Amino acid sequence: MTAFDHDDEVVVIVGSGAGGGTLAHELTTRGIRVVLIEAGAHIRLEEHVNDEWEAFGQLAWTDARTTSGSWRIARDFPNLPAWVVKAVGGTTTHWAGATPRFLEHEFRARSTYGDIDGATLLDWPLTLAELAPYYDRAEIAMGVSHRHARKALPANNNYRVFANGAARVGYNFYATGPYAANAEPYDGRPATIQDGFNFQGDRSGAKWSTLVREIPRAEATGNLDLRPDCQVVQITHDARGRADAVIYVDADDNLHRQRARVVAVAGNSIETSRLLLLSASSRFPDGLANSSGHVGRHYMRHTTGSVYAQFEHPVHAYRGETMAGVIADEARHDPSRGFASGYYLETLSLGPAFLAAFAEPGSWGPDFTALLDGYANTAGLWIVGEDMPQANNRVTLNGTVTDGHGLPVAHVHVDDHPNDTAMREHGYRQAELLYDAVGSVSAHRTPPYPSTHNLGTSRMSVKPEDGVTNAFGRTHDVPNLFVSDGSVFTTGGAANPTLTIVALAMRQAEHIVDLFSRHEL
Amino acid sequence: MTSHATTEAPRRFLESERAHVLLVRVIRIAFPHDTLPDSAYERTADSLLDLAVRTNRMTLAVANGLDSLGSLPAGDFLGLTVEEAFEHLRAIERTEFFSFVRGNTVLTLYNLPEVWEVLGYEGASVEKGGYLTRGFDDLDWLPEPRVEEYSGEFSRVEIGALPYAVTTDPTPEPDRRTLPDRRTAADRRTAADRRRAPKRPGADEVTL
Ligand SMILES: Cc1cc2nc3c(=O)[nH]c(=O)nc-3n(C[C@H](O)[C@H](O)[C@H](O)COP(=O)(O)OP(=O)(O)OC[C@H]3O[C@@H](n4cnc5c(N)ncnc54)[C@H](O)[C@@H]3O)c2cc1C
Repeated sequence: MTAFDHDDEVVVIVGSGAGGGTLAHELTTRGIRVVLIEAGAHIRLEEHVNDEWEAFGQLAWTDARTTSGSWRIARDFPNLPAWVVKAVGGTTTHWAGATPRFLEHEFRARSTYGDIDGATLLDWPLTLAELAPYYDRAEIAMGVSHRHARKALPANNNYRVFANGAARVGYNFYATGPYAANAEPYDGRPATIQDGFNFQGDRSGAKWSTLVREIPRAEATGNLDLRPDCQVVQITHDARGRADAVIYVDADDNLHRQRARVVAVAGNSIETSRLLLLSASSRFPDGLANSSGHVGRHYMRHTTGSVYAQFEHPVHAYRGETMAGVIADEARHDPSRGFASGYYLETLSLGPAFLAAFAEPGSWGPDFTALLDGYANTAGLWIVGEDMPQANNRVTLNGTVTDGHGLPVAHVHVDDHPNDTAMREHGYRQAELLYDAVGSVSAHRTPPYPSTHNLGTSRMSVKPEDGVTNAFGRTHDVPNLFVSDGSVFTTGGAANPTLTIVALAMRQAEHIVDLFSRHEL
Repeated sequence: MTSHATTEAPRRFLESERAHVLLVRVIRIAFPHDTLPDSAYERTADSLLDLAVRTNRMTLAVANGLDSLGSLPAGDFLGLTVEEAFEHLRAIERTEFFSFVRGNTVLTLYNLPEVWEVLGYEGASVEKGGYLTRGFDDLDWLPEPRVEEYSGEFSRVEIGALPYAVTTDPTPEPDRRTLPDRRTAADRRTAADRRRAPKRPGADEVTL
């Protein structure tokens, strides 16, 4: 394994998930030396387990976080605002694989939706046309079904209910993808065995993740020094205000300093903002790259909710690819529905352990147990739509609660915007109608899970006073500091974010290489 | 027996048979399932008691919570009818004792393989080759759906209304959570037939 010296001037990437793993792969394969620092452990495929809580304990980020606001998460999961992973590969180890692209107008949210009260909408400094070539590359890398000659996944049981219901309510744009797991062997990885444990870490390697693809390939170049179990706790800068090193703490709580010519942060929105805020200095008293005051603000987590419907006949929805079912008809901006922007419906299934924990948090008694008694006959789906950015939906440092290293934890404040609530209601209703159309005997509205999509806390903007980063994720304040994850999303779009995170990281990598070759970095 | 009347510390009480029996009943009343074996409730109670004795805070809350079930105005909790027992749990829903029991039962009871089996969940599959040849697509009461993306006459609408009819309900009922369905199968067929979308090939095979 490659090991660089602490004094080597390398590119330091913080976090090895969708954004960081992709960036590391793109840079190392172009001959650039990278130190990839990952807070979590390097857990191999063969260690993954088909067990919901065990896999959660093995991979999820369970260090303390706190939350507040009107969103139900503050009541249901006060110490778990987000479901994200702390391990090599980041949350791509737990992700499912749904990979829609942003729509053209979603990059122009402010212009398209207009001035919505309480929302801090802004247009992206980037268009779909500019990102399209990178979307193509990302889809090819990830092996996205239904694209670039990749086969569609077969219809599993949950999809059978979902798609028939969709057809009967009149939807047309449904399919088993786009979805980033192999329907047939591709790119050196096998076809799915439909084990049903997408949210737990896929032992077979059929599901794309940076753990199975980008990281091993980056290591093979000899240009990657991967340091698992190391958490970056500060980014320092020199007298000119350029990032010059990161300080990280290892598993034994020892502090280390790694010199850097470039620092790229990809800790997944909440930790990315926390790190920038922890890196406050005399020059940046409100946090590194935060002269605008936007670091941590406009936190987005998508408007979500689930519906679990029971039938007279067995469904066995847990068998097979968890999210290989997408309906796109509602993912459009049609204010006649009573809200701006739109949402997707996607198949979703939990095992009894997670269903009990998440179906109706806080509930008990016969209404609750009925949800589980009907488990085998249950079909489920997820609503995922664009939520409104708001200035006070925000990640800050908690002044009193600290983590195992003694550092302030992230506090996440979220109030639902009326547009979010109206969209969620609409989604619930459409889902109920869909299941009713195929004979459901009951349907249950499940509130949002701890956020799996975390976006927007270092948003891209044309003007430095409107955001934290430019169209390449380069911070407005610090020329050699980049943000390489979903934090840079100016607005959230309705699409699940990972394909876009990967496409943006590929585009950013090209830009960094270009800046190097022009000696501008 | 109550812990007040003895010299037993709360931790000792939690190790007693009485505490165990009381807790089993609390869990059974709060999480009633006709189908679960007794052992599932027993094991859950054991595991919660093990957890409670680990901290003083929970030892105190759980010992006091259980102990006080012996001297309710209506008598001993073990002697109450199911309805009375349920109502009593409603009354103490906000206590630390009940929150502990509720929260940890959810995490424990539904994580037992014997419970999964009764609920019809087969669990871990990777060792068995996944569900690829073990029924991931064996649902036979609905027609085979399309898996490819739509390629018909309409193009995808990104802004504005759809040019085709979709069933919607402009005045949603405020709360349809877990409502038992009292409609007959015939009603349901009507609901399905109300669909405005054109029939898909094979839609006649529906056996509902
Ligand atoms: C159950 C589930 C299902 C999902 N399904 C889908 C889906 O179908 N489609 C989709 O598009 N998305 C899905 N997602 C979301 C997807 O996983 C994320 O969008 C994506 O992984 C985010 O990439 P990222 O690079 O921003 O962060 P991550 O992938 O979370 O990676 C961040 C990494 O940084 C590390 N890190 C953080 N702080 C530090 C630090 N200070 N020092 C060192 N390392 C640090 C973390 O440990 C982590 O490994 C799902 C998520 C979950 C939980």
